[in-house]
Amino acid sequence: MKKEIPITAFKCRKCGKIHYPFHDRCLACRGREFEQIKPEGDVRLLSYTAIFNLPWGFDQRFLVIGVAEFENKVKAMGQINVVSVDQLKTGMKMKAGWEPVRVQYGEDVYGLKFELPE
Amino acid sequence: MREVAIIGVGMVPFGRRDEDTLMDLLAYASLKALDDAGLGDKSVDAVYVANMGGGILQHQTAIASSLVDRISLLPAAAETIENGPASGASAVKNGLLAVASGYYDTVLVVGGEKMREVTGWRATDFVATMTHPQVEYPYGITLPGMGGMFTRLYMEKYGVTREHLLAVSLKNQEMGALNPYAHVEMTLDREGIFDSSHAIVNNPVSADPLHLYDLCPVSDGAAALVICPLEMARKLAKPPILIAGFGQATDTQTLQEREDPTDLKAVAMAAQQAFERAKLKPSDIHVAELHDAFTILEIAESEHVGFFKKGEGGKAAAAGKTRFGGEIPINVSGGLKARGHPVGATGVAQVVDIVWQLRHELPKNRQVKNAQNGLTVNFGGFGNNVLAFVLRRVEQ
Repeated sequence: MKKEIPITAFKCRKCGKIHYPFHDRCLACRGREFEQIKPEGDVRLLSYTAIFNLPWGFDQRFLVIGVAEFENKVKAMGQINVVSVDQLKTGMKMKAGWEPVRVQYGEDVYGLKFELPE
Repeated sequence: MREVAIIGVGMVPFGRRDEDTLMDLLAYASLKALDDAGLGDKSVDAVYVANMGGGILQHQTAIASSLVDRISLLPAAAETIENGPASGASAVKNGLLAVASGYYDTVLVVGGEKMREVTGWRATDFVATMTHPQVEYPYGITLPGMGGMFTRLYMEKYGVTREHLLAVSLKNQEMGALNPYAHVEMTLDREGIFDSSHAIVNNPVSADPLHLYDLCPVSDGAAALVICPLEMARKLAKPPILIAGFGQATDTQTLQEREDPTDLKAVAMAAQQAFERAKLKPSDIHVAELHDAFTILEIAESEHVGFFKKGEGGKAAAAGKTRFGGEIPINVSGGLKARGHPVGATGVAQVVDIVWQLRHELPKNRQVKNAQNGLTVNFGGFGNNVLAFVLRRVEQ
């Protein structure tokens, strides 16, 4: 069963700017009141890369990572579940899920994973 | 505010320095700068040490306190400055403000890093600690990975090509091969890394679309300088190099929160402030050291500081306009790409290289003829904390 994406974004009550991650004051108007919103729908891929020189903690040949925008304008980074960047194009629609993205101290760490639509 | 000049500079060759500790590197560069300033056995009022990773890589903190003890500068005031890969320029700025304000007369600024002590895995992870700890770092993003995403957007928006990136890479390696302080003293062969069937082996993808030779190496190294009020500097034998202007600006930590991620706002603002304070414009600059941790950054920065219009930097590099002898020579030292990038040292090393240029002390094959004004840009995080300096030669 797919896990719900538990991330929360913050919409400024004064100017409407959407923030993710959290800021104590709005980056546009310095307002301090935010409405908590959940990312909704599919995502549009904004940019991506395949990284072959990985940091400590990743025991694999490469990682594909991208930044994507949900239908309600929340933008976030996530790993991309493809075998090659040749399958990707900026602007393409993808599905978002909440899955293990790394292992730390023997435990799965969950995060955003984007995949090609079926 | 007093005008402030650089009167002494020093650097240790960058590279893999297994035989030296971090403190050795800082001490050697500091003593070179003090000797170059002609201070002899005199002390300085204050010491600013730029270092990003001592706490993580060497398990060592309070580095400035240790350095003043090691090189007998007690009881000088001493602080360590950490501002990611812009630590070096931040330390220079802090020294500048301390002297300009009148609080101190003579200040030593030194930046150093020892990154080759750990495996590539660990060094990559150390640099990635600059990324957002909750919404970026857990995914395994690296700074080259950020560079890859930025490159893709820049290519799509402005038509930058791999040929343009290659022009920067070949140029900086060519100059680095002439620089005895460079980590990678080696020219590159276009065919070997781009135009042949061997290229994919010699120059594999590192952070798509960036390849291995689009990235700077991980280096050990240190650089230092001594500053004082211009009026004091005028009495010395060497031409004083005036810190004519500086600028600093910040931007969002995550790329995703920038309205246009290809717009390096902090670079443009820092450079603009530096030019305004120096009362100079980009066309007055004779030589520049830009923060080319990735080849795309030299191209993008050359546009954002005002040397070229947006979208023209790649073509300018490919046309040779940024080469030694070109319209505006950029990274005649070899840049981060060839000189190397010991993160805490880089911002200081950029200033040291420009000082050598403006004093006309370099060999003919690297000396920009009659250079009077120089620019440096030190790029922290992924452009979220940027410092720029405009330096000017003052005739005695």
